[in-house]
Amino acid sequence: MSKNSIQLENISVTYPNGHHALTGVTASIEAGSICGLVGVNGAGKSTLFKAIMGFVKPSTGRVTISGMAVKQALKQNLVCYVPQTEEVDWNFPVLVEDVVMMGRYGHMGFLRHPSKADHEAVTAALERTNMTEFRKRQIGELSGGQKKRVFVARALAQGGQIILLDEPFTGIDIKTEDALIILFRSLAAEGRLILVSTHNLGSVPSFCDDVMLINRTLLAHGPVETVFTQENLVKAFGGMLRHHQLVGADLHDDEDKRSITVLSDDERPLVFYGETGGQKITKHGNKE
Amino acid sequence: MEFLLEPFTYSYMVKAIWVSALVGATCAFLSSYLMLKGWSLMGDALAHAIIPGVALAYLLGLPYAAGAFFAGILAALSMNIVKRKTRLREDTVIGLVFTTFFAIGLLLVSINPTSVNIQGIILGNILAISNEDALQVVIISFICLLVLVLKWRDLMAVFFDENHARALGLSVQPLQILFFTLLSAATVAALQTVGACLVIAMVVTPGATAYILTDRFNRLIVIAVLLGSITSAVGAYTSFFLNANPGGLIVTLQTLLFIAAFFFAPRHGLWAKHRATKMILKGNSHG
Ligand SMILES: Nc1ncnc2c1ncn2[C@@H]1O[C@H](COP(=O)(O)OP(=O)(O)O)[C@@H](O)[C@H]1O
Ligand SMILES: [Mg+2]
Repeated sequence: MSKNSIQLENISVTYPNGHHALTGVTASIEAGSICGLVGVNGAGKSTLFKAIMGFVKPSTGRVTISGMAVKQALKQNLVCYVPQTEEVDWNFPVLVEDVVMMGRYGHMGFLRHPSKADHEAVTAALERTNMTEFRKRQIGELSGGQKKRVFVARALAQGGQIILLDEPFTGIDIKTEDALIILFRSLAAEGRLILVSTHNLGSVPSFCDDVMLINRTLLAHGPVETVFTQENLVKAFGGMLRHHQLVGADLHDDEDKRSITVLSDDERPLVFYGETGGQKITKHGNKE
Repeated sequence: MEFLLEPFTYSYMVKAIWVSALVGATCAFLSSYLMLKGWSLMGDALAHAIIPGVALAYLLGLPYAAGAFFAGILAALSMNIVKRKTRLREDTVIGLVFTTFFAIGLLLVSINPTSVNIQGIILGNILAISNEDALQVVIISFICLLVLVLKWRDLMAVFFDENHARALGLSVQPLQILFFTLLSAATVAALQTVGACLVIAMVVTPGATAYILTDRFNRLIVIAVLLGSITSAVGAYTSFFLNANPGGLIVTLQTLLFIAAFFFAPRHGLWAKHRATKMILKGNSHG
């Protein structure tokens, strides 16, 4: 069996109102790693996910999933999608376990009658996401972090080898975030392809292997060490970032040239420390 | 006792009671879905949009359920297209399309006054239903219920999360079309029992009541269907004694049950919430 992958060839998406959300995205993402999709709000992260899933039709280009057309890959339950929290109807009368069970529908017959294997998959998915104690709750009665985990559990129950997560860290506490990161790491280690969008810079180096920086097009794509640099981030985020730089006398008592640069948008800040890093950002960037 | 059993000695009453119950069950099943999407007014819209279809069918000598059904589908499709191609809100689109259809219907009837008993369609009267019409209603209801029982989970997945349903490989658009086809068909059936004005209640109230009573969709459907069929049967039965319009009675009963649920539902009723608040206050004062 060949490795799972997502191939994007020259993807452009234009919405019916004429807005060009993405232009010419070409990339290849391989299984066994976590790839972070990083960009400001409105950069087109959700749009790229929707293009990969076939929910929006690209105006140019083609998506191939593990060598297959999207439709075929979906029929094989190869791909799971965890939506942004805002896109879910939290008042819908379903319990946590009902939502997770919906992840199994692709495995069931005409009547969607759950088998023993389906029930076991749901229980396992709930356990793995630490949601067992909430399985009988209506989904609107959960905290922000629990809400995210329900949909991660649904993806696990579905059992796809490729998991797309749209902003799973927005609005959750650090503890839940860390637990999710550990879970994503173990899923990637099992050979799955994990693509996570985030505008939360600080946590990217700690859990992503690769990163794609986007702002209405692909700006950079590659291993975190080479791509996730201050220069690229300033390109991707423009004036949207807060810079805090500590140099010279603020930081050291001696003639040390090293500085600390803190980049953040609204959540975990990203910290650069060293001689070269600091020089690329001017003091003008500092709004404080 | 004999007095209470008297309606059952008339075959037209027996027919009215069980046909009403069947229609009530079908509409209630659909109401479970409709209310979740803010589509409740769709039932009302369809009921009115059906009139030109009925008028045309009479004019052409076709079975009137067929005309009604096609007008209903046409209206549902028009709403869908206008909704997708403009940025108008749902309620505006529904209002726009259904008044247009209703106007065309009235126009057709006024040009050709003897062709349709429009009064009968707007008010409906199950007590006076002919055997052929009753048969049509029964067949429509049975088919709808059968399809819903087979496919309720797929429809739930589509209503809950369209994108996920698509990701699972479900055929989302055909399922949506299926739903509106069933709704159009059920509306035609309900016209006969409660009339165009009250169809809206049949496809909203049972679902709304059940929603207050449970947090699980499968139970919601069961409760809604029970409420819909029992109120419809009881309404038709009582109309015998009160000499009242059965449609009015059915909907009044459904509303009474809604009010009861609103106050006394175990978890989401006003009374339960009031008690819960009092418990918390008490707990705080102790602690
Ligand atoms: N359905 C839509 N119709 C028109 N424009 C849209 C639609 N969805 C998103 N957009 C626009 O496309 C751009 C990218 O949106 P999105 O992919 O949601 O960004 P992100 O997820 O990175 O915050 C935004 O400018 C947004 O306003
Ligand atoms: Mg987004």
